[in-house]
Amino acid sequence: MAMKRHVIVGGGTAGLNAITTIREYDRGESEVVLLSGEWPYARMVLPYYLGHEISESHVFTATATRLAKLGVKPHIGRRATALDTKNNKLTLDDGTILEYDDLLIATGSSATRPPIPGANGPRIYNQWAMDDTRGVLAEIKGGMDVVMVGAGFISFTILNSVLSHGVNLHVIEVMPQVLPRMIDREAAILVQDWLRGRGVHIHTSTTVKAIEDVDGRKRLLLAEGGDLMADLVIMGTGIRPNLGWLAGSGIEINQGVLVDDHLRSNVSNVYAAGDVAEGPELITGKREVHAIEPTAMAHGRVVGANMVGRDIAYRGSLLMNILDVQQLDIASFGNWSAADRETSVLLEPRGHIYRKLVWDGDRIVGAVIMGPARGIWTTNDVGMLKGLIYSGVHLGAWKGYLQEHMKDLKKPFVACHVIRDMLPVTVLDHPTVPARDVVAVEPAG
Amino acid sequence: MSKVLKLVPESCTGCMRCEMACSYMQTGTYQPSKSVIRVSPFERHTSYSPYTCFQCQEAWCLAACPVEAISISPAGAKVVIRDQCVGCKLCTIACPYGTIFYDVDTHKAFKCNLCGGSPACAEACPTAAIQWVEEKVQDWQGDFAAERGVIHLVGVPSA
Repeated sequence: MAMKRHVIVGGGTAGLNAITTIREYDRGESEVVLLSGEWPYARMVLPYYLGHEISESHVFTATATRLAKLGVKPHIGRRATALDTKNNKLTLDDGTILEYDDLLIATGSSATRPPIPGANGPRIYNQWAMDDTRGVLAEIKGGMDVVMVGAGFISFTILNSVLSHGVNLHVIEVMPQVLPRMIDREAAILVQDWLRGRGVHIHTSTTVKAIEDVDGRKRLLLAEGGDLMADLVIMGTGIRPNLGWLAGSGIEINQGVLVDDHLRSNVSNVYAAGDVAEGPELITGKREVHAIEPTAMAHGRVVGANMVGRDIAYRGSLLMNILDVQQLDIASFGNWSAADRETSVLLEPRGHIYRKLVWDGDRIVGAVIMGPARGIWTTNDVGMLKGLIYSGVHLGAWKGYLQEHMKDLKKPFVACHVIRDMLPVTVLDHPTVPARDVVAVEPAG
Repeated sequence: MSKVLKLVPESCTGCMRCEMACSYMQTGTYQPSKSVIRVSPFERHTSYSPYTCFQCQEAWCLAACPVEAISISPAGAKVVIRDQCVGCKLCTIACPYGTIFYDVDTHKAFKCNLCGGSPACAEACPTAAIQWVEEKVQDWQGDFAAERGVIHLVGVPSA
């Protein structure tokens, strides 16, 4: 019998986790084909490369040697152009046609630019892909005026790295606050204050209407009047899932590819994972596109297991983000924005300390937690906060205690048996195996 | 069955020797802030319990790491490979127990590595509140904390 052929489209976090999970189960007893536009790398660690804290090689997640050990047939530098789900055929941009038994759509997202004049001119970079990082690194020099357009999570992941080059940094955000999709206004005010105290210029409620070239520099014209001069512009104005190649495939798409609790699309042998997947959210079960690393990782593992027939139902993704902004720790979980929900808040403006818990009855369904890294408490407590939300524990009488003692998570966490509830939980059906230990073994005979 | 760190909160006196021993083993300094076992009071200041990584089977921290900087040691500990860690903190929000930390001085994650198979905390504990034994890992402190929590929940019947 011919070996089953799994085709993985996309070599990011979701795709690679799917591959290692397939190999963890089948030890090489299937054919795995990886199609990736670039050599796989970890987007999450690009900021550390940008800040010269690690070398470029540290960013790559799958070398040729590694892929060979995993028994993967790579098509690197090629992209998918069409998917024929009736005949199980994938067409690549060089005309190659790959047949598959099952296929994973894990093509990730691309950065977008605002539709304004000059947005695609020289010395303007996104901060999303490896090439963006290389571009910024080639240009950035101490003393430059750098403008970041967009103050979302992606921009903020590189803020420390950009500042480490000794530049004069301006951040422009169209919304009235920084990090509008990660934290609420109260927290954002503290972040803005923290950054201004460290010499960063923050311009909220500000829209760039055009970018011009003036004597080798960039002039950003602002809709509110005035302008800003820059030597380098970094765009963090949004991302969108790479789904164009699925036109005509019959795959159901809303914001992303709609998938069930096994991460299957409407075509049963086609899965989707990571930024392109619109899959179940942990608390509500509603399908959402998260476009975050933890979701891509979990998706990839679940798809890998299901591709080898393990029948793994996914519990759902918990939205979560964490940032270190000039040694101010900021994290949020789940339904932190809390429209029409009961909330409990702790605010210590002088210390830049903020906590918000969002309640559904006596369960926590969302949270914001923030404080200086030197203050220890924030980083110590983010994990327990995740456990309280992920386990869905009913806090009962401890809810009142927590509302009165917002910094004392441990007593309610331990007393409500979150540990007992979480210890048996695994994402797959067995203890996690380190990906680095997984190798394919040639099938016997 | 492999050995685990068994925590017996009823035996803990809050003397903090485990934190001293742990930080000395992990960092070469007596610095409880760098300890990865942490003693907390329960029932105001009459009861204490140590708390550290359960070396859980899901290994949330390990699975979350984007650069495979966490591995499993022969002793069964999930260990941070320092040279590989970039300090992105994804492990700290992935771990649902709050037992992997970020060191602001080294910019790396750090956690219990079971001291290579002979945990200093268990050795240092004078009352056997921390034991290195063959047993199934479990929720060592839950019932203890729940019982002692009643004092904090005055006027509310305990669950």
